[in-house]
Amino acid sequence: MNRLTSKLQNLKESNKKALVAYLVAGDPDLDTTLDLMHLFVDSGVDVIEIGVPFTDPIAEGPTIQKAHDRALKNNISLKMILELVDKFRETNTETPIVLMGYLNTFISHIDLVQSIGENSADSILVVDVPGELNLQTYGITNPNINTISLISPTTKDDRVESIAKNSTGFIYYVTLRGVTGSSNLNIEEIKTNIQKIQQYSDAPTMAGFGIKSVEDAATLAACSDGVVVGSSIVQMIADSSQSKEFDRIGKYLREMKTAIS
Amino acid sequence: MTFSNSNFPDKEGFYGEYGGKFVPETLMYALEELENTYNKLKDNKDFIDEFYKDLSHFVGRPSPLYFAQRLTDHYKSGSIWLKREDLNHTGAHKINNTVGQILLAKYMGKKRIIAETGAGQHGVATATVAARLGLECHIYMGAEDVRRQSLNVYRIKLLGAHVHPVDSGSATLKDALNEALRDWVTNVDDTYYIIGSVTGPHPYPMIVRDFNSVVGKEVIDQSKDLFGKMPDAVVACVGGGSNAMGIFHPFIDIKETRLIGVEAGGEGVSTGEHAAPLNDGTPGVLHGARSYLMQDESGQVKDTKSVSAGLDYPGVGPEHSWLKDIGRAEYVAVSDDEALKAFHEVTELEGIMPALETAHAFAYLEPLMKELDSSANVVVNVSGRGDKDINTVAEIDGIEF
Repeated sequence: MNRLTSKLQNLKESNKKALVAYLVAGDPDLDTTLDLMHLFVDSGVDVIEIGVPFTDPIAEGPTIQKAHDRALKNNISLKMILELVDKFRETNTETPIVLMGYLNTFISHIDLVQSIGENSADSILVVDVPGELNLQTYGITNPNINTISLISPTTKDDRVESIAKNSTGFIYYVTLRGVTGSSNLNIEEIKTNIQKIQQYSDAPTMAGFGIKSVEDAATLAACSDGVVVGSSIVQMIADSSQSKEFDRIGKYLREMKTAIS
Repeated sequence: MTFSNSNFPDKEGFYGEYGGKFVPETLMYALEELENTYNKLKDNKDFIDEFYKDLSHFVGRPSPLYFAQRLTDHYKSGSIWLKREDLNHTGAHKINNTVGQILLAKYMGKKRIIAETGAGQHGVATATVAARLGLECHIYMGAEDVRRQSLNVYRIKLLGAHVHPVDSGSATLKDALNEALRDWVTNVDDTYYIIGSVTGPHPYPMIVRDFNSVVGKEVIDQSKDLFGKMPDAVVACVGGGSNAMGIFHPFIDIKETRLIGVEAGGEGVSTGEHAAPLNDGTPGVLHGARSYLMQDESGQVKDTKSVSAGLDYPGVGPEHSWLKDIGRAEYVAVSDDEALKAFHEVTELEGIMPALETAHAFAYLEPLMKELDSSANVVVNVSGRGDKDINTVAEIDGIEF
């Protein structure tokens, strides 16, 4: 079974919520990204989401955009990211890895995506394709890779059903109208919508976009199968990119993990 | 008058293998809402009447098809006709589309208007129609373009709109589009996004094409009246490609007319420093659509180079990509230097100062007129006037005010 699917299933069976943490590969450099991935795991992160940098990341707020720009200055490519995952797998074969990015970078490297083996990345999340579109249409048919679709507050009911059925990894519920790192969570709307998704699908539903505090995470975890944190961590990485002292991130993630348990 | 009966795009918004809707999920509902509204209204008599009434009384249509005597004499072969979109209210073809889209916004009850702009013409055209209806308006513009198009920035502000300079990426049109899309993702409930070219996710390329097709329809009628047959060639500059698509589209089935799109060759296509994806790009996905794109081998979008802010864009409308592949339209490129030479030449010969974008179309007359015989009629789409470019041209010529 896919590493991501089995991990989320185990968590659900033991009534635990998943903590998914995001960083951009190569920000500030690939060695640091590798260190941070291990730090994530040591701090209680269940799933690592690696941002694949793109020149035109239309769904990202300023914090993650800048991280993409920094990574692109280091000429980070999908090939380098898969090599990074291989290195990570030398010592960690358990933690699922999701590659999150934009369609153009994946379809420019279809051969690479198709060659991903069992002991590599586990899932792909393409931000700029409609959820019900099958990635197979674009030549991504690798059985080792499952796909994650997004559902947003504006997704209509008839589409919720088809998107939910098409998502093989987990369903990513976008908790707000906005880009990554925005504010203004509407908790009641989120609860109702996640319940609606769960009527259509048994796949785990993660809540993300706009989770800025341990309190947000706790509230959202209560009505979902887990939470995704991105911008707040990416900001902390940026703040400490010179000193390389990331203790604060470890502490933040441990607090999150405790709060959602 | 009615709108297009074209079979393209298909139901999913594709022109052959180009187009589509590649957007974050949050926008899917808004695109569907827009598509449904447009499909209902495009056959609604009141809507169509209101659109054409605004085009005559607010924009000043039809624009003339003008015989360029001295330019014709200059090339000594064929006859050159100018479709005078530069005479429209606000000075370019852009107003045709914004007049149509603001009507859609009004019918949809949207209170807030956003738009991206490169040269500033679309920003001016959007701010103009928003002012006319008293709607809040926000224009996103690359910081580099804010600098080189300061006159239009001030015009937009005078019209009561807010200008947001965009510093990210290359700080030009593509980054302004990114930022406008982010605004739309955030404010999707009450906001209408007036895209300024035949780019972006479906249904935008279709809607912008349909509103701007009034240009090509007029040329067909005017050609019959003025020289009794269809033109041998129609020439238009192509950035995102809205002025070209507007004049090309009604001609797609008129096979005797060559359709020639002129891209921005910047320092020259062979140098790689240009904005000519149809000449030197490969298919990729940017800003919601699959189309020819300037990208590197990793699928990252390349920076572009052009003296003309309105053409300085790494992508192109998906229908142009399709017309290129099926061979219905030809796409060529001219360099910055050639465009600047044409800018001066047309200004001096005809007393018409074209926009630097438009100057690219004029520059292609040099090789084109040589291959045509003396009976040929060539229509150049004068997509906009050059007043906005005076500072840029003066700077290049080393003149200080």
